[in-house]
Amino acid sequence: MYILDDEAKDLLATVKEFCEKEVKEQCKEFDVSGEWAEEMYAKAGEMGLNAIEVPEEYGGIGISKITYAALYEEMAKADAGFFTTMAVTNLALKPLIIGGRKDLAQKAADILIGGGYGAFCLTEPMAGSDASNNKTVAVKDGDEYVLNGRKCFITNGGIADFYIVTAMTDKSKGVKGMSAFYVEKGTPGLSVGNEENKMGIRTSNTTDVVFEDMRIPASALIGNEGDGFKIAMQTLDMARAVMGIGAVGVAQRCIDEAVAYSKQRITFGQPIGKFQAIQFMIADMEIKTETARQMSLHALQLQEEGLPYGKESAIAKCYAGDIAVEVALDAIQILGGYGYSREYPVEKLLRDAKIFQIYEGTNQIQRTVISRAVMGKF
Amino acid sequence: MEILVCVKQVPDDSVKIGLNASGAPAIDGVTMVANAFDTYALEMATRLKEANEGTITVVAIGPEKAKDALKSCLAVGASKAYLVSDEGLENMDSLATSYVLSKAVSKIEELNGAKFDLVFCGKETTDCTTGMVGPELAERLGVGCVTGIVDISLKDGGISVKQETEEGYNTVETAIPAVVTVNKPEYDPRYPTMKSKMAARKIPIDVITGADLGLEADKTAPAVKVTALSEPPKKQAGVKINEKTFEDTMAKAMEVLKEAKVF
Repeated sequence: MYILDDEAKDLLATVKEFCEKEVKEQCKEFDVSGEWAEEMYAKAGEMGLNAIEVPEEYGGIGISKITYAALYEEMAKADAGFFTTMAVTNLALKPLIIGGRKDLAQKAADILIGGGYGAFCLTEPMAGSDASNNKTVAVKDGDEYVLNGRKCFITNGGIADFYIVTAMTDKSKGVKGMSAFYVEKGTPGLSVGNEENKMGIRTSNTTDVVFEDMRIPASALIGNEGDGFKIAMQTLDMARAVMGIGAVGVAQRCIDEAVAYSKQRITFGQPIGKFQAIQFMIADMEIKTETARQMSLHALQLQEEGLPYGKESAIAKCYAGDIAVEVALDAIQILGGYGYSREYPVEKLLRDAKIFQIYEGTNQIQRTVISRAVMGKF
Repeated sequence: MEILVCVKQVPDDSVKIGLNASGAPAIDGVTMVANAFDTYALEMATRLKEANEGTITVVAIGPEKAKDALKSCLAVGASKAYLVSDEGLENMDSLATSYVLSKAVSKIEELNGAKFDLVFCGKETTDCTTGMVGPELAERLGVGCVTGIVDISLKDGGISVKQETEEGYNTVETAIPAVVTVNKPEYDPRYPTMKSKMAARKIPIDVITGADLGLEADKTAPAVKVTALSEPPKKQAGVKINEKTFEDTMAKAMEVLKEAKVF
């Protein structure tokens, strides 16, 4: 349940209609083929869905965090890959705002408003949860930086118009030697590597991004040298609650599919929804989903109010990711053999749900964040 | 180019609607939307405007809630909207509707300070499906009318339109001002952008009353009396032919068709 004003309700109705007509059914085919849904994404870009988090001062619509959460849930309900593409595109703007680079943020915002995409390149083959172990290096050469290295599992890697890239400017300083850079598509030395053949969110694009003697101007540095890790962590902190909402969208779709099925599937002379065994499963699915939704919204509201939100964002992302998988398993159980069949939509929901326990910080990392916040240093 | 698009708010046509206990359509709780054919008309008008410049005004007759349909039009091409709203205008037939619309056209022209070059209507509404309002409006305005068009362009100071008929297509050229009624074109109406949706909410919608239009009461009373409404008969189950072999099934099917004197 969201508390929305009339304007937000209007936007939600528009996004809901778009998702129902242009995303939900179309994504079935792209889930099988793994191909890029070009037409669907072009239409979404025209509508401005790539830019729903862009603040008003950068020419965006400047809606509240609760409002864009409602829009994101609708996208995730229709297809979690679609949600992921949109949410990560918006995420890529955050490091520029956090790093105080209004000029670059404006460039990136213009790209998103024009229907373009952003990518956030932090993860490397040996630097996932251990993000500080970045091996990509950036060496200052006059008024340029030269980057070499390889990023992996980069959402929007093959389609992005701009990239936020972390690289080590001083390895001897550990995480304090990491810096963040703004890189535009087409920069010589930048190339797209292997595209992942994923279990779920198959309508999103995930690739390696490779830098070979890639030269970028010194002005592409976001903040100061050594700020990269801090900027990346703050970005993820902010984005986590949105990922919680994505997981909630998948869980809500599971409930919708399970409820519809349990009302029409007859066994022992009555719809299975008449059996308490099913009713209680539905109730438990709802308890988990609504709790995850409210936790995510609470974390976003804290952000909106300028209050500390790190722990709450981690709780939201972790809990929502975990329950999305549980709820998807329950939905499959309610649909029985049909739930296990690819003819029905719920097996895809389980494949989609699983990513929410992994990306944007694994749920193990979230638990580390939460326990540190609770226990402090001792 | 000054364009007017007439829009009616109707129950969502994707919802199956039956009759309630008193024999009226059971539309309580059904979402009200802009008539689908009117949205095609607006999209066509918007494309014409984008290719040739101009402004689009939308008008609806209905209760205060009908402003929602007008707001959705303001997000996808229209820049001005008027609602004709008053008691006694609720259950008009097509003749009365065209009378009120014709009066509204003059009033809006006066308010806008410009005459309309073109009036677009949907070819019919999805609730009443009479298809008569457009031609009746043209008659009252004393201008030409082309119905069921699927494409339009400007030509020699007038318009050239592609009209869809049961046999095929006609290309019709006519002078403007004119009224056109629009069928489903090859394209779909555009989605509003997040920005246009928010901007549309800020555009004021002026309400025009019956008194503003100087309506004569007897002309808004329906000339058509609805005596009863009934749901369409349920589709009869078909005959299943499933013989042992495919050849036998085909032979049996041919036999059945022959008996039914299909050929």
